[in-house]
Amino acid sequence: MTKSFSITRQLIVTVLVLELLSAVALIGAITIHERQVQLKAFDSSLAATAESLMGAVQDAEDESDNVMLDMRGVQVARDAAFRVEDESGRLLGSVGDAPHLEMPPSGAPVFRNVVVGGRKYRFIVLRGLRIVDPAKPNGGVRHNVTVTYGTHLGHVWHEVLEAIRFFAVATVILLGVTAVVMAWLIRKGLSPVHDLAREAERISSSDWHFDAPISAKEMVELRPLVAALEAALARLQRSFEQQKRFTNDAAHELKTDVAIVKSSLQLLSMRKRTVDEYSRGLALGLDDFTRLEMTVQKMLTLARLEQPMTSDSSDAAPQSCSLHSVIEDVLYQSKPLAELKSIGMNFEFNADARIRVDRRDALQLCSNILLNAIQHSPDGGTIRIALIVDKETVRLTVQDQGEGISEEDRAYVFAPFYRGDPSRSRKSGGTGLGLSICKAICERAGGFIHIANNATGGAVVIVEIPAESLSSDSTLSASVKAQ
Amino acid sequence: MRVLLIEDEQRLAENIVAALREIGLAVDHAADGESGSYLAEQGMYDAIVLDLMLPGKSGQRVLQDLRREKLHTPVLILTAQEGKESIVKLLNAGADDYLSKPFDLGELLARIKALIRRAKGVSTPVIAVSDVELNTVQQTVRRRGQFLDLSPTEYRILEYLIHRPRAVVSKQELLEHLYDFDWEHHSNVIEAHISNLRRKLNIAGTEPLIETLRHRGYRLREEGVAP
Repeated sequence: MTKSFSITRQLIVTVLVLELLSAVALIGAITIHERQVQLKAFDSSLAATAESLMGAVQDAEDESDNVMLDMRGVQVARDAAFRVEDESGRLLGSVGDAPHLEMPPSGAPVFRNVVVGGRKYRFIVLRGLRIVDPAKPNGGVRHNVTVTYGTHLGHVWHEVLEAIRFFAVATVILLGVTAVVMAWLIRKGLSPVHDLAREAERISSSDWHFDAPISAKEMVELRPLVAALEAALARLQRSFEQQKRFTNDAAHELKTDVAIVKSSLQLLSMRKRTVDEYSRGLALGLDDFTRLEMTVQKMLTLARLEQPMTSDSSDAAPQSCSLHSVIEDVLYQSKPLAELKSIGMNFEFNADARIRVDRRDALQLCSNILLNAIQHSPDGGTIRIALIVDKETVRLTVQDQGEGISEEDRAYVFAPFYRGDPSRSRKSGGTGLGLSICKAICERAGGFIHIANNATGGAVVIVEIPAESLSSDSTLSASVKAQ
Repeated sequence: MRVLLIEDEQRLAENIVAALREIGLAVDHAADGESGSYLAEQGMYDAIVLDLMLPGKSGQRVLQDLRREKLHTPVLILTAQEGKESIVKLLNAGADDYLSKPFDLGELLARIKALIRRAKGVSTPVIAVSDVELNTVQQTVRRRGQFLDLSPTEYRILEYLIHRPRAVVSKQELLEHLYDFDWEHHSNVIEAHISNLRRKLNIAGTEPLIETLRHRGYRLREEGVAP
């Protein structure tokens, strides 16, 4: 199973975790603060009660100037513990197990946390001066009274816990609401992605139409994806259609050739014929078959050339050849054809160069271009062939004096099976693959081929191929004249 | 019967023309759409074999123009294109039949003959008019069960007339449908052929089956059963 990753889930989890963390921090801070506040309130209530206990220490109304605790009017908490003593340690009154606690040396009251009977108590120790009979001349009897009063701390913690609980519940509700709202928002926010996916899903090999939904185009984050999708699809569609066109054209071409062969043989076998008729029919049939063979061969050549260089395992190192000698050979071979039309062929070059092209391919490249030029030349014309070797590139130009090339044809002249006529008339001979093969050879060698109109009339084919090495000669000029 | 072949592929055209002539049809060949269209619109063909990819004028346009001229010559389309849609479109545009390349020559011939027959209102290859029975497959003729020995031209004249019983067929029409381009040269011999045919068809004591209508032409009598 592949590991899946969801932005939605991650976003929601991240937000929730962050929210949870801040809630925890908040609760922590609130706990501390609440405890502080509660303790303060607790302490002041302790102090108030202790004060009133202090106030309850009165003259004992006996002979000696003793004091007593008069608890009337003093309210103490239910679980409180206190003891009130005078300076001699005499207990004036107590409730619960109030411990003896260190007296503060100064007069300020002190607070102490003490565990009594397993429960946490907080005590205040208050020292006060009570004067009995202050109206007497000696100023009355002074009694140093110590009040130790404490109550159970549980109240404080109860309050703090209440606060924590409130915040915890609020946090849980908040988290839940956040999760739901986030999920809804993100789903809504991501709907353009789904729209885009739905649109992209419709694309098939037969229907290439892709219209990115407006919602996806409006989303800044999706725009690069939309643009990339559109560009990739356009490229794919182009190459797909090119492939399809090639297949259709190839099928058309092959079917026509097969139809000719088949009809030739069937015509021959329609009835008994003389030996003469048979031999004539067979010769014609063989011609037809040769043409079919040529078409197939050229298609295979084109297919081989269009394959990437690396997959060519038969000869690992690409061979190279001298372009000059190739051109010489081609000139020699095409001389009879040129002579038929009284065409002169003029070859000029400034140096020889080796190109990284298999010699047979180079021969085919040059002869296709030259034969094309001869075909389009008027009788008695001249074809100028020039080989110019620059530092790194070899430039071959073949210029004829024909009718030139129309703008319309220029765009398609290298497309397979293009014959410069919408009907693909086969009268001119050839398979319509010659220039496509030239283009494939040039591109395989890292160069290019293009065709243009010459200023002085006629078409010029220009080939540029990277040179492998060059044997620099001084400017030479050779001329092969056929005539 | 005269057939027009519009096909730019020279070798294929040569083969089809030769085959059509071998089964006794007169054939004209046009190598491009424009001349093909011109010839087709002369209205003297019994069937047209039309290639789709033509220089000058496409096969579709040739067909459209032909039908626009209200000519109902049966058209058989030859195509190397794939796809049912274009076939449907062509049939809807007025084509009568189609064959895709590479085709069987025998099938092409049979289909052309069937088209010619059907265009003349006959659906079987054996046509009988009164007591004459003509088998277009075997190219044989019988009268009252007796096989008649006819020359190819005589057979073709009878075949044409039997496809149009009771109609008056002019000499020119006969010539146009029996011969290729240079039918004028055959103008004088046709009368000789007809008289031979009439003689061979004749059975003593009956009216001649083929009537000659002066200055108008010839007619095959349907009610020519023995009196």
